[in-house]
Amino acid sequence: MSDLLTEAPAQPVRPTIFFDGTSSRRREVTLTLGDALEILEDGAAPVRWAYADIRRADSPAGVLRLASTSAPSLARLEIRDAALAADLTTRCLRLDEHRTTRGGVAKIVGWSVAAAVSIVCVVLFGVPLAADRLAPLVPKPVERRIGDAAEVQMKALFGRKVCEDPAGKAAFTKLVNRLRDAAGLDDSMTAGVLPTSVPNAFALPGGKVFVLKGLLDKAETPDELAGILAHELGHLKHHDNMRGLIYNGGTSFLIGLLFGDVTGSSAVIFASRSLVEASYSREAETGADTFAIEIMHALGRSPKPAAELMFRITGKEGGSGLTNILASHPLTEDRLARMTKEDRPASGAPLLTDKEWQALKGICGSGKV
Amino acid sequence: MNDMQWAPVGSEPLPPPLPPARVDFTGNRSEFRKLVTKGALLELVTFGFYRFWLVTDIRRHLWAHTALDGDSAEYTGRARELLVGFLVALAILVPIYLAYFLVGIEFERWQAFASVPLFLAFYAFGQFAIFRARRYRLTRTIWRGVRFWMDGSGWAYSLRAMLWGLLVLLTLGLALPWRDAALERYKMQHTHYGNLTGDFEGDGWTFFKRAWWLWLLSPIALVVFPLAPFFFAEFKARQWRWWLDGIRIGDVSLSSRLPHDAFYGLYWKVVGWWTLLTIAFIAYIAGGAFLLVALSGVPAEEVFGGDNAAKSIPMVVIMVLGYFALALAINIVMRVYLQRDLWAKVLETIEVHNIAAAADVRGSAQLAGALGEGFADGLDVAGF
Repeated sequence: MSDLLTEAPAQPVRPTIFFDGTSSRRREVTLTLGDALEILEDGAAPVRWAYADIRRADSPAGVLRLASTSAPSLARLEIRDAALAADLTTRCLRLDEHRTTRGGVAKIVGWSVAAAVSIVCVVLFGVPLAADRLAPLVPKPVERRIGDAAEVQMKALFGRKVCEDPAGKAAFTKLVNRLRDAAGLDDSMTAGVLPTSVPNAFALPGGKVFVLKGLLDKAETPDELAGILAHELGHLKHHDNMRGLIYNGGTSFLIGLLFGDVTGSSAVIFASRSLVEASYSREAETGADTFAIEIMHALGRSPKPAAELMFRITGKEGGSGLTNILASHPLTEDRLARMTKEDRPASGAPLLTDKEWQALKGICGSGKV
Repeated sequence: MNDMQWAPVGSEPLPPPLPPARVDFTGNRSEFRKLVTKGALLELVTFGFYRFWLVTDIRRHLWAHTALDGDSAEYTGRARELLVGFLVALAILVPIYLAYFLVGIEFERWQAFASVPLFLAFYAFGQFAIFRARRYRLTRTIWRGVRFWMDGSGWAYSLRAMLWGLLVLLTLGLALPWRDAALERYKMQHTHYGNLTGDFEGDGWTFFKRAWWLWLLSPIALVVFPLAPFFFAEFKARQWRWWLDGIRIGDVSLSSRLPHDAFYGLYWKVVGWWTLLTIAFIAYIAGGAFLLVALSGVPAEEVFGGDNAAKSIPMVVIMVLGYFALALAINIVMRVYLQRDLWAKVLETIEVHNIAAAADVRGSAQLAGALGEGFADGLDVAGF
């Protein structure tokens, strides 16, 4: 036996298999390692692979699987004999050239970090800037259409119809018009009272302001309501809805892009979105408050009653540091403190007479909602 | 062709039928664990961008160590293709999201919340992505120097999936076996290995007979929570076995001896790890808070809240770090058990009949692009 082996050293015990890349036929071949690798099969033309063209392909342990850049792309040579594999490996100098190396991984990490940093910068600086610049440029009709859609939704949530009591409506219109003129908004804006006990007010894109009946019930003087309305007009004036829309759309897209699907990271996406969006929204609210203060001063009324109304509704909010960071509005006590600082004795005429105020309180009919 | 074997032509004696070929998985478990651990760490420092490389490495490992009839397969897809596919998919998805938003507004103007059904469009898109992602993976799968490939239309598949999905919804899940059978038939009939064409011979009725009682019992699992992993494992094992039994490629057929309780261990290990990791996480948070209070002297209420947000920052950092470590560990557990171990467990039960029919297959195929995978990734419907 040992004689036989020394006579034919090139013939391994375990067969070498060749797939020519055009057929799945398993070809048992012998190899000759000359100035190029020669693959010989009984009754077929020899195939020559230059050593420089040979690349390693994925294989299980114990098999050396090779491909050649100059052969059909799926041609594979499988060597199962360890000695032969070792011999061939030393001859193929560019065997592992195409693999991802340590440097390659470092490059991936480097580029990812660069991409992440740029995305974070865009979220923190680029998107707010774009939102501020683009929001005033959104055509009025587009804004109004978005507002219409939101209005339909709001009405579905907060009662079908706007309150229509004639005397109350006249008082409401008077109040809104005085604020509107002071705010310098054109007469395309509309306002209404919705019959629901939720104490709130909101502005929609396209110049729509809604006061919910609950807020009206809690308000004790016209100034309280006027301050809140002025705040909502501030949102209209600053295009806060469109800014928020562009900003939120942009950040959620970018943050989603950043984290992709590190499986189970939806929580991360949600948390970081809430964080940046809340800070942006607090900024917008503070801006609207500033605007409300200016309007009330221009009308010779104090902004403080509005903050007192808010405080009556929400109570003291501050508490956990975490909820402070995540809150979409500034804390009511902070707003109250600010408006108290801006408190001035009334110098202008009351915004509504007592009679008008009583009519406004009854705008949705007999008290009950 | 099959009939010919039972009706001898001329006087040639038929060779005795060969024993079925086996599928072997030779992958080393600790090697895989190292692969996914390293991958998960890199995923963390790259903010998830490494996922394309990790998923490619996982597939390369699984494919290369899967040997059919003694010859192992090979996965030739590359991470760069996935990255490009993802970026192109994003470029296409952004205008679609915008259009979705605008159409949604028009719907809302007409009727409140009328735009909700529009999400169906994304479901349809997801199904399309699933089909195209499968095509990408198949065309990167090589066995004996010949690649698998797929034709058929992603949209035709998506339409079928939608209609069947509706039926499943209307029948409260009872139509699921028929849905699986129909969709699998579409996929397999458009699957090819070289010049062999695939088929799927499993029928919904067989699947239904094997699993209907699970459907009846499923409400119990909602109440008695610990039973859920058993039910799910039982269902998955039956589904896998039925699926494998139905697969045909040309005259080659598959059968499986997968026992119905094959996955109990796997799912319970995953549940166990989840529990363990969650307890560790809670202990870590509690320990961190305790240390913080003890070291800094800041009272506990202020660490968790209080008026000064700055004082709670160290706690936030501790929580974020802990969360990332938890996500990382769960990632590794899921990949080791639900990808690698499940793969190995299923493969060892497979028998391949008449493998000789694939002895001399001519290769023919176009490479499919990775766009489908990109969509699947962008819409979060990707498998592995």
